[in-house]
Amino acid sequence: MARSRIKRMSALSGSLMFAPYLILLVAFGVVPVVMAFFTALKPSMVNPAGGFLNYLVVIQDFRFLPALTNVATFLVIYVPLMVLVVAAMSLLLDAIRSRWTVPLRAAYIVPASISGAVAILVWYFMLEPTYSPYGDLLRAVGITEGSQIWNTGNLVWIFVLMAFFTGAGNWIIVQYGSLQSISDDILEAARIDGANAFQIGLQIKLPLIRRYLIYMSILTFAAGLQIFVEPYLISSTVYPGLADNWSLNQLSYSFAFQSGNLGASAALSLMLLVICIIAALIAIFRTDFFEEARPTTKRSKKAARAAMPAGSAI
Amino acid sequence: MNKRLALPLALMAVFGMAGCTAGSGDAGGGTPELLIWVDSVREPAAKAYQESVKGDVDVTVEVIDTAELLTKISLFNTTGSGWPDVVFAGGPNDVAILADPSNGYAANLSETVDESVFKSYDGANDWCLIDGDYYCLKNDLAQSVLWYDAVVFEELGLTVPTTMEEFATEAMKLEGTGYVAGAIGDQNYYASYLWPSGCPMAAADDSTTVRIDPDAEECTRVADLVQPLVDAGVLDTRSSFDAGFLADVAQAGKVAMTFGPSWFGEFVLRPESSWAIPEGHVAAAPMPIWDGNDQAYSGEWGGGIWMASSHSKFPDAAADAVTYLATDPELLADSVTFPGSGPAFEAWAERVGSDPYYASSPVPAMVQQATLINPSEKPVRYDIQGQVGAVLQTEINAGTPVAEATRKFQESLIQLAPGSGYKVTQ
Repeated sequence: MARSRIKRMSALSGSLMFAPYLILLVAFGVVPVVMAFFTALKPSMVNPAGGFLNYLVVIQDFRFLPALTNVATFLVIYVPLMVLVVAAMSLLLDAIRSRWTVPLRAAYIVPASISGAVAILVWYFMLEPTYSPYGDLLRAVGITEGSQIWNTGNLVWIFVLMAFFTGAGNWIIVQYGSLQSISDDILEAARIDGANAFQIGLQIKLPLIRRYLIYMSILTFAAGLQIFVEPYLISSTVYPGLADNWSLNQLSYSFAFQSGNLGASAALSLMLLVICIIAALIAIFRTDFFEEARPTTKRSKKAARAAMPAGSAI
Repeated sequence: MNKRLALPLALMAVFGMAGCTAGSGDAGGGTPELLIWVDSVREPAAKAYQESVKGDVDVTVEVIDTAELLTKISLFNTTGSGWPDVVFAGGPNDVAILADPSNGYAANLSETVDESVFKSYDGANDWCLIDGDYYCLKNDLAQSVLWYDAVVFEELGLTVPTTMEEFATEAMKLEGTGYVAGAIGDQNYYASYLWPSGCPMAAADDSTTVRIDPDAEECTRVADLVQPLVDAGVLDTRSSFDAGFLADVAQAGKVAMTFGPSWFGEFVLRPESSWAIPEGHVAAAPMPIWDGNDQAYSGEWGGGIWMASSHSKFPDAAADAVTYLATDPELLADSVTFPGSGPAFEAWAERVGSDPYYASSPVPAMVQQATLINPSEKPVRYDIQGQVGAVLQTEINAGTPVAEATRKFQESLIQLAPGSGYKVTQ
């Protein structure tokens, strides 16, 4: 009897603790999605009947395939680059346990303060031979005109650069946090067994923070899939039109506000949402992301607790 | 769910609230209230209007990025309230979207503004004429003219061309001298070459049919004329605003001539931070004629417009504001742009025409071209300016042959137009 009361109490307190999040999830997650679903059925000039044909309108639009290709290329470069570099850098940062660690950590966060509109300006000035502090360097490799860098073929690399330098620093600190929580006992044991620093990093530490790297790749994938600010700003400021409708989100924006086609816009947004959800589900269920920690991974559970607050702040 | 996902979704939520329409309501008594949206350049003008009607009309002026005008209006259309009473649009094409029944923002000014206002500068407001009614007033005309450096012309023994063949011949004389005949890697190629020639890119017959023809002679002949000049290095493929072009060419005084809109003189050639061409150099000539055209036409690059809201509770006050902002002589005399109304223009011409900066007055050439903007191009609902940047400019900057760049640009328009409800003919 006492046990069931405890059970009820814990269910109640659990619900209470979950309630604030649930309210926000419904208000700003579920309701908009439902609304978007109905908006996606609205008629437009190109599809006066409306309905599910709007999804076809999106896919058949001449800008859809190029935008899809752009975003896919971007993701193929950006996500693995982030995971690899962030894992490597955080392992290195963790390996250096000296008085330099604190200033080093600060240094990783600095580039993250340059985001969105500011990143566009910074990179424009860096990559424009006339203004660049590295102008001589650019000219030395034969780049004398801005258009040699700022052209459609290079855009994906430029956006990867921008996104990488904006995001990597924060993630390095987060992953460093998860590495910090690995118990010294384990590392000590490994050392006694004769593992060198390289083996410890690759075979002990990396597997223990694996699920946080997965968590990170889901978030970077979702963010990358929705790339908008960088191409939108570059097209509306320094190089008019250069990256017009470059990404799927930009196309969605054009549908809504250039063609007045809210139906197609909502349809495309929903397609992006579905891709995001599928990607997240694969990452979660094809790995042990949500599995309860077994006794053998007790310490990684501890690491989870330590890293989560930092991760959820991003 | 992460934040970047949340924003578009929240936006979609806003779209969803279409149900509750406010309706325009009755004006009733009391002081009329107007909300005016302008860009930062037009803010002093709006403030001047606010001052001039103080006590009679309660005017609020808000500065917005006019690139976001369509976005904001369509959000208000969905929520059914919040529209500004008067707006300035930097993209003259916006009138096609805002006056279309599918949007319905722009008020029919023929009902509220006196007929004489529309006619105050010969044909200038024809752009605003949709199905026989006026839906906007032109703030300024951005007709192209031939800007040239009189000092360089004299030094090199060049003559001012009157036909496009002569233009090509004179430009070719610059080969090897380090001088150029302008830059074509931006909207200038569209506004000062393709449009004057009469190349069909937005040749709307009515609100549902548009002619876009990549094979038209008016299009192909432009590339044929321009390509040899590009190959010879006398036409730059960068933008007139490109940092490299400014430093290497324009500020070095190496532009012998260039086509450009009427605002090029005050806004591009003159300022220190721009081309910085010194006093006594700049002159303007009428556009050369394309062989086979009946007139030496111009195109237009910019040329902003004023519109009133069809949802305004005070339609007469809104119409008065639009009229004042588009026509007041005192207001427009100091503007950098060529006013789109007669009396305002005269005050402006007096100031610019007597300015010692110019080698000779550029006003006569501008006046001649003001009534010669090629009427083949019309406001259309698809984003032609966007495609100029996305395709035409990008391709030319990247060194694509001009003919191919132009064709790609027109083909993108052919694909884009049906999405805005047009049937494309050739």
